[in-house]
Amino acid sequence: MPVEFEGSSVMTMSNSASGETSVSSGHLAAAASLLPPPKKKRNLPGMPDPDAEVIALSPKTLMATNRFVCEICNKGFQRDQNLQLHRRGHNLPWKLRQRTGKEVKKRVYVCPEPSCVHHDPSRALGDLTGIKKHFCRKHGEKKWKCDKCLKKYAVQSDWKAHAKTCGTREYRCDCGTLFSRRDSFITHRAFCDALAEESARTQTNAVAVAAEKESKLAVTAPANLQEKQMAPPPPPSDQKGILQYLPQPPLAPVSMSMNCSNSSCTTTSCGSSSLFASTVATQRTSFSDLIGSMSRPEVEPPSLCLSSNGPSSLFPPAPDRRQFPALQPSAHMSATALLQKAAQMGAAASGSSFLRGFGLAASTSPLAAGGGGEAQWPEPASMSAGLGLGLPYDSGCAAAGLPDMMMGSAALFGSKPAATLDFLGLGPSGGANAGGLSAFINSIGGGGLEAYSSGRSSSPVKTWDGGGGGDVKANGRAIL
Amino acid sequence: MLMSGVAEEVSSSATSSPLLSFMSISPTALGSPYSPWLRELKSDERGLFLIHLLLNCANHVAAGNLDQANAFLEHISLLASPEGDTMQRIASYFTEALARRLLRSWPGLYRALNPVAADSSATAAARRLFVDLCPFLRLSFLVSNQAILEAMEGEKMVHIVDLGGSDPAQWLALLQGLASRPEGPPHLRVTAVGEHKELHLHTASVLSKEAEKLDIPFQFNAVVSKLDSLNVESLRVKTGEALAINSVLQLHSLLASDDIAAARKLFPFKSAGTLGELLDKDQGSDSSSSPFNLTPSAKMETFLASLWSLSPKIMVVTEQESNHNGSTLNERFVEALNFYAALFDCLESTLPRQSLERLSVEKKLFGEEIKNIMACEGLERKERHEKLERWMMRLEMAGFGRMPLSYYGMLQARRMLQGFGCDGYRVKEENGCFLFCWQDRALFSVSAWNFRRVD
Repeated sequence: MPVEFEGSSVMTMSNSASGETSVSSGHLAAAASLLPPPKKKRNLPGMPDPDAEVIALSPKTLMATNRFVCEICNKGFQRDQNLQLHRRGHNLPWKLRQRTGKEVKKRVYVCPEPSCVHHDPSRALGDLTGIKKHFCRKHGEKKWKCDKCLKKYAVQSDWKAHAKTCGTREYRCDCGTLFSRRDSFITHRAFCDALAEESARTQTNAVAVAAEKESKLAVTAPANLQEKQMAPPPPPSDQKGILQYLPQPPLAPVSMSMNCSNSSCTTTSCGSSSLFASTVATQRTSFSDLIGSMSRPEVEPPSLCLSSNGPSSLFPPAPDRRQFPALQPSAHMSATALLQKAAQMGAAASGSSFLRGFGLAASTSPLAAGGGGEAQWPEPASMSAGLGLGLPYDSGCAAAGLPDMMMGSAALFGSKPAATLDFLGLGPSGGANAGGLSAFINSIGGGGLEAYSSGRSSSPVKTWDGGGGGDVKANGRAIL
Repeated sequence: MLMSGVAEEVSSSATSSPLLSFMSISPTALGSPYSPWLRELKSDERGLFLIHLLLNCANHVAAGNLDQANAFLEHISLLASPEGDTMQRIASYFTEALARRLLRSWPGLYRALNPVAADSSATAAARRLFVDLCPFLRLSFLVSNQAILEAMEGEKMVHIVDLGGSDPAQWLALLQGLASRPEGPPHLRVTAVGEHKELHLHTASVLSKEAEKLDIPFQFNAVVSKLDSLNVESLRVKTGEALAINSVLQLHSLLASDDIAAARKLFPFKSAGTLGELLDKDQGSDSSSSPFNLTPSAKMETFLASLWSLSPKIMVVTEQESNHNGSTLNERFVEALNFYAALFDCLESTLPRQSLERLSVEKKLFGEEIKNIMACEGLERKERHEKLERWMMRLEMAGFGRMPLSYYGMLQARRMLQGFGCDGYRVKEENGCFLFCWQDRALFSVSAWNFRRVD
């Protein structure tokens, strides 16, 4: 819509409220024809135009959706353009067809709610859409809910905007605060650590109590976080930052998690074995399916303790369910994430399925010395790869002078050091594996733990020792 | 259920030695490494498989089971590649290291195939690339310089001793920092200690030019010497000048010692078994379990004592934040795997796969370090990284007092990271020292010390 400039109207626009210097009218008349129409002048925020028309709408009118009404047939439309299109259909004579040419006076709107700040004309808002949204947000019912984080919104556009960013990109400060914006995160961190550092360094600082309290909060927050992590599970965070959630070294939680995974082990193994039986038998079980099923634990709170998820979420009982999503479509996992996962698989019952997918039956008889993996090859006739990973070793080497340094770790984990080891299906000869798993977790996770919890005393990084059957011969190839 | 039944058995037989975890695989059961199935693995699956293979392989190598280790090596070699994805790259360097380790069983072969001296100029070049590609070392320079500037406030004569100085970048920045001091720049002397004269010459020219430009009275000295044979007299520290010592990833090489001999000293009366077993048994489980059990190192103690005797006003130490000095191979393997995985991830996120520079850093810097950690022993094993808590103990025992790094340094570091343009790097502060992390994994530590004990 071309803006007509008369010298006078320009003068009134550039008046006190804006603080802009006014151009002399002479210049402007000439300039207007040469320059593109100037941008719509905006008042300073919070200071409406003094001689604008103040409109007070009732809540009903404000919330009405069809405010553009055709004068001929009284049909309502949400948009002015739609109304115009409709009016064309009425075959109006030319004059009436045009919009009224005079320039519309500036309008500002007040909120109908008396207790609201914006009820006062001096705090009126300049935009109709703005006042509608304001009214909904502040005085309306929050009808839109985000399903990821439970935030509620009264305005649909707010909700949509939030849904776009919710959970997609998160930054977490050491003190536990979550940020969706990078800049606010960075700003926070500059101060957050400062506060923590300050409180750590100087006790007798003459800092205001508030600041001290703030710093204490920041310092204790990590402690809380630690505690939270010790008690399973930490709040779910679906980012790939599993690294943050490594359970702390202290033994109690780990043995607890061992128990948890044991229980989930027992309950889910049925499901899983049936699952596998069906899938392996019926179709070519690809590695990815297995990994997919393994990937489940990762999506859930990634602590070693799985019972929190409930077995059902890990292994849906329906036998025909092909719930194995392909491996996380988020392309390639980082090496550290893979190491993490390997450690998790060590902890989880899923590890057994992992091996089973390799063609390893759960119920294996103890290996005869030198029997190698042959006895282990169950279904995988369909597994063309024949990557049957037989059970590790034969009883022959069990006592073959392996240093017993893992005694410590076995003791550490109390009574159930190998509760999760048993899925190896090692059978009675699985004795030698006692503590091996925990050792492994420790070595992968613990080594990592040591690193991640830099400075904190970490659980011992136990070494582990292989015992692969010394005299198992290379006859596995026959399977292929 | 099978599980519970076995559980009892297993727990009752806790006396037997624990083996590898569930994923110990009999190498024979692996099948042919050429099976088509393997080629169809997706990247993450392959990565996981590689981890399993590596663990098993390392196990066998540690135990000396040549055949089994060989089988695993074969498998891994076919899946790993220095130009593949992160895990493939890591695997390729670790397998090479493991293979070399295995070769030690035949000393003749080992020596014949192993070049005695690594190509040091290639390493130096790779190190310089690493400085450019990743922000870690630049952060270290920044933070160290800041600490030095703060310590040298008001000093008119400043002497910097750079152990292992091969990169003038840090001192260029320091020159600029000194030039913009409110009280004007001091007299500056820089003494670089290193093995390669050419590098010193280069550094000398670069720094002198810069100092001239900034109008700072400057003097450069080079000491061509290995660290363990350094005579502090040659540093020519004069009375009246304020001394700053800077060590970036150098100190750990002093921990290299003839471990067997050391163990003999510790346990002279034990005769059972091989010394290797002895070491494992007595030190293995302990060396990393409690930080209070430092492997004593006479060389380090002497060196630190001599540094201390120079009464440095500040000493800044940057080291890798990982324990690669465990006495057993398995320990070192696991730690190294985690550490270098993070470093490789970092490179993967920062540079494209085809980048030749990245390849060079991975191969000539990290690969060499990995080989050293895994395949070498005794005096040869120079990459004896240790964690900050241990360095703190060692330095404190030598009489140094810790100087906390300033908040301003942290701000500068964070600002540099913001400008770096790649997400994932972090700087953390702990006990007055800084840790540079990739995601949540601390990779390098910087700490500052002076010769006065803060008791």
